[in-house]
Amino acid sequence: MSSDLVLVIVVGTALAFDFTNGFHDTANVVATTISTRAARPQVAIGIASLLNFLGAFISISVAATVANDVVNADVITPTIVFAGLIGAIAWNLITWWLGLPSSSSHALIGGVVGSAVAAAGIDAVLAEGLVGKVLIPAVVAPVVAFLVAGLSIGIVYRIVGRQRPGPVTRGFRYGQVISGGLLALAHGTNDAQKTMGVITLALIANGTLGPNSDPPLWVIVSAATAIALGTYSGGWRIIRTTGTRIIKMDSAQGFSAQGAGAAVILASTHFGFPLSTTHVINGGVMGAGAGKRVSAVRWGVAGNIMVAWLLTLPAAAAIGAAAYGLSTVVGSGALGPVLVSLLFISVLVVAFTRREQGASVPAG
Amino acid sequence: MAIIVQTKELAQTIVASVVAGVGVTLVFSIAIWGAARFVDLNRSQRPVAAGAAAALGAVALAVTLATGVVGIVVMTSK
Repeated sequence: MSSDLVLVIVVGTALAFDFTNGFHDTANVVATTISTRAARPQVAIGIASLLNFLGAFISISVAATVANDVVNADVITPTIVFAGLIGAIAWNLITWWLGLPSSSSHALIGGVVGSAVAAAGIDAVLAEGLVGKVLIPAVVAPVVAFLVAGLSIGIVYRIVGRQRPGPVTRGFRYGQVISGGLLALAHGTNDAQKTMGVITLALIANGTLGPNSDPPLWVIVSAATAIALGTYSGGWRIIRTTGTRIIKMDSAQGFSAQGAGAAVILASTHFGFPLSTTHVINGGVMGAGAGKRVSAVRWGVAGNIMVAWLLTLPAAAAIGAAAYGLSTVVGSGALGPVLVSLLFISVLVVAFTRREQGASVPAG
Repeated sequence: MAIIVQTKELAQTIVASVVAGVGVTLVFSIAIWGAARFVDLNRSQRPVAAGAAAALGAVALAVTLATGVVGIVVMTSK
């Protein structure tokens, strides 16, 4: 009964994480489409939500990696998974609060690894999977997206550079509807699976599923729904800020960036690499910018992304480890996770209330 | 080290990403070029050349769409 209650808390927390993942990443998926006016914000976000939902159904390779290849499922308990999720959500919210770009995926994996190490020692981590399927692809994928987008935009300008800009711009705007759709599909495919993987890991740890099981249908449907709802909700929030935050780019650059991002994420998904879609998409955007003019890229932003990338895994791991420690202070039952959940929710309510009060004060 | 890094899968991911990303953009650019040339050549009363440009553009567009579909099917199936 106690472990079932923990499992219910884990599933709820994982779906909340999935929602925030979609919410957090909407800008990445639709930003280029909106900034080049390839589609109206409402349309772009609606399509992105739908394709994120559909994307979650077309592969389970990444879910299998998260469930079976990162930590040793034999020593994992639902409480460890819960603490890992708290680490991931907390780091996501901290970086969101501070305005730092960060990867939800790295936060999730870092949180689970940290809580697993706190609970069972370093042997709980499957180094081969963590390094080979997470860390190395995490470094390589954004670089590949950068190079593919840069190469692509060079080819585009060579082919259509002497044509009248009007038809070319219109053509690439139409193309962006397709490339943006592919990117949303790729995002749903890779990111929703991470939540599926974590829930599956908790189900295996609880004995509900056997070792090396695939995610059940209800897990796939609920993860797909959560990320789609998050994408839709996050979208409305970014409409107001899209015009000022995005690097100005033409429709050909938008098409190249989205095409590169979608290609890298889909190819990685095929091999079960759980990527940071945020970093891949940003890599594509920077590549498309640098392909036209190197100085067009805000290299300071690139530096911030690199710093956040370096910090995310260890920081989420530390919070995950602390959350595990707190969760087990009162024993190994459900009381610890319940208390940590209540504490976490209380902190969130206080923080958001203060933020809203601060925001409502006139700037003068 | 090679086992940990999963060199083969990583190399295949890179190759697939480059081929798909650059390939689709290349073919779609040809489609745009064909459409733009069709408009210009049609205005200059050169129907044969305009037709050829339109045909090239249409074929390139079809290849772009087909590549996208095949890419999704291949990359997400195992």
